[in-house]
Amino acid sequence: MNQDHMLICARGLVRRFHSGQEEVAALNGVDLDLPKGAFSVLAGRSGSGKTTLLNILGTLDMPDAGTLSISGRDVLTFSAAERADFRLYRMGFIFQAYNLIRVLSARENVAYVLQLRGVPKAERLRRADAWLAEVGLAGLETRRPDQLSGGQQQRVAVARALASEPDIVLADEPTANLDSHSGESLMHLMRELNGKRGVTFLIASHDPVAMDAARELVMMEDGRIVERIGQ
Amino acid sequence: MKHLSVYLRLGLRNLWLHPARTGLTVLALAIGIAALTFLTAMNDGWMQNIRENFVLTEVGHLQVHARGFEQSHSIRDHIRDPRPLLQRLTGMQGVRAVTTRIRVSGLASAAGANAGVLVSGVDIERERQVSRLSTFVGQGRWFVAGEERAVILGDVLAERLEVGPGDKVVLMAASPGGDIMSEVFRVRGLIHSGVMDIDNLMALVPIASARRWLALDEGAVTDIVIRARAFADVNPLQRALRTEWDGQGLEVLRWMDIDPMAEQWARFADAYTWIVLAVVILVVLAEVLNTMLMSMHDRIREFGLMSALGTAGSEVFAMVMWETVILVCLGGVLGFALGGWLSVYYGQHGLDLSRFATAFSFMYMSPVVYPLLTLEGCARILGAAVVGAMIAGLYPAWKASRLEPAVAMREV
Ligand SMILES: Nc1ncnc2c1ncn2[C@@H]1O[C@H](COP(=O)(O)OP(=O)(O)OP(=O)(O)O)[C@@H](O)[C@H]1O
Ligand SMILES: [Mg+2]
Repeated sequence: MNQDHMLICARGLVRRFHSGQEEVAALNGVDLDLPKGAFSVLAGRSGSGKTTLLNILGTLDMPDAGTLSISGRDVLTFSAAERADFRLYRMGFIFQAYNLIRVLSARENVAYVLQLRGVPKAERLRRADAWLAEVGLAGLETRRPDQLSGGQQQRVAVARALASEPDIVLADEPTANLDSHSGESLMHLMRELNGKRGVTFLIASHDPVAMDAARELVMMEDGRIVERIGQ
Repeated sequence: MKHLSVYLRLGLRNLWLHPARTGLTVLALAIGIAALTFLTAMNDGWMQNIRENFVLTEVGHLQVHARGFEQSHSIRDHIRDPRPLLQRLTGMQGVRAVTTRIRVSGLASAAGANAGVLVSGVDIERERQVSRLSTFVGQGRWFVAGEERAVILGDVLAERLEVGPGDKVVLMAASPGGDIMSEVFRVRGLIHSGVMDIDNLMALVPIASARRWLALDEGAVTDIVIRARAFADVNPLQRALRTEWDGQGLEVLRWMDIDPMAEQWARFADAYTWIVLAVVILVVLAEVLNTMLMSMHDRIREFGLMSALGTAGSEVFAMVMWETVILVCLGGVLGFALGGWLSVYYGQHGLDLSRFATAFSFMYMSPVVYPLLTLEGCARILGAAVVGAMIAGLYPAWKASRLEPAVAMREV
């Protein structure tokens, strides 16, 4: 495999958790190469290690063993501050719920990451509004999260993830709290952005709606990747 | 400061998210800071009052003696010719009034009893411009011009001697030559000052009578007493007079050099107030800390999210600190306004504590306090509030900044 094309290159990732006396191996030696432009869904039963893997790939958590390079950078050697910076400039995140800062409007939530990056005010507001329009939320820019439906909130999260033009968007169960119609249209939106703009997506989900939209399925079981379907 | 606008926006809105909690904390802060402001002003007013009462009762802001008099209190150490000194002092910058005295300790006897006395020969006109002694006359009257061998006694002393206005008293003291001199005086008035040393021991006589009785030269004095325009003039005056009169065998003393008691009492009151302030600050701190910790706890997920989005730990720290600062500022402004208003109001009208404080008059305290809001006092309160906010914010901010995003995001 030509690793130059690989956005993510993980080898032998192990992550153990201790709960009381017990030790749980949430990841048990994960190897994963993900090319630029992928639209992959990480699927598997509850407890198979999807969130744990996504957190490590997103530099939100550190593995106990293994190597990981993202965009050619050895992110496991980074300090906490360097990781925060890497996330700010290279990664987009969409979580299952509580994705938004609740005292900020939709526009301000999207603009937040741009502000951290020092984008001037006029420019960041323009970009925030453009992305909100892109995800179908034109006219709702000034609403607070509690004034938006669950599907609309997830769309704001998509807009925020894409506004900073990341190398990859990591999404953890983005459709889990949505009805099937909203879930479908969210997946459709992300798939469209992948096709149109070449944004790389890695989505953890056991929602059939999400799996249907995938270009590739990465199957997990007991902390291992057991099968890759598609591509 | 990089993202100040977003910190302030987040801080304000998060505080607004819980109006009741924020309101209660702001109220507690406001009351605490109002109390702080008012107590500080009370204390400063009180100290000013003690100093002023002390100085104006008798001692004056500054005294000039022949060198050694403060130590010996012997009439032998007197100033022979004070005229050039008085001339220099008249119209000098910072000098409001000047008088002269002859002080000597002696014995008073009347028909029934004897008692030790502190005799003070006073210039009957100038004394009124320097001290309040003349205003303390209760029974009888102050001296009239040209009056010879008149005496005004402290009321407790008079009682001990069993005399009143019109009665005769014999005063005895040693002359500079060492002879015991005695003279008959007639009591013209009694003074009550509330200060024990004065009421129990003081015998005032016209300065000319004192000279004749003690066989002192014309013009001789033991004290030149200066009333300054303000307390701020005291140190510069002492410095100026010391350089100017260097080598003339004089000592120039400030009121606190003469009797450190009043200053120490003022300092004690100050220390006491610091303790009260410390308690107020602690209570306020605990309140702010509690509010901020509650607010942090509500938002663990949100801090996790911010961290996941690439917000640096230092930025989360700054965010929480700014929120604390906003909270303390809201309470601070409100409390400072309230405390300031109270201080200014009572600074003009006076706060009558006579029901509690009459017993303190021997400490030179007036029962009516005029709170005084000084620049130093304000700076002290401001400093306390800012330092308090910082301390109260540090722990929650540190905690929030160290949250691991992967862990925080699992919280529900
Ligand atoms: N912080 C933690 N402490 C203890 N155990 C943990 C922790 N995080 C994950 N685990 C355990 O690791 C295993 C994998 O968890 P993970 O959350 O990655 O699964 P998942 O595939 O995302 O499941 P789900 O579909 O329910 O989200 C589980 O057994 C879980 O209990
Ligand atoms: Mg999960």
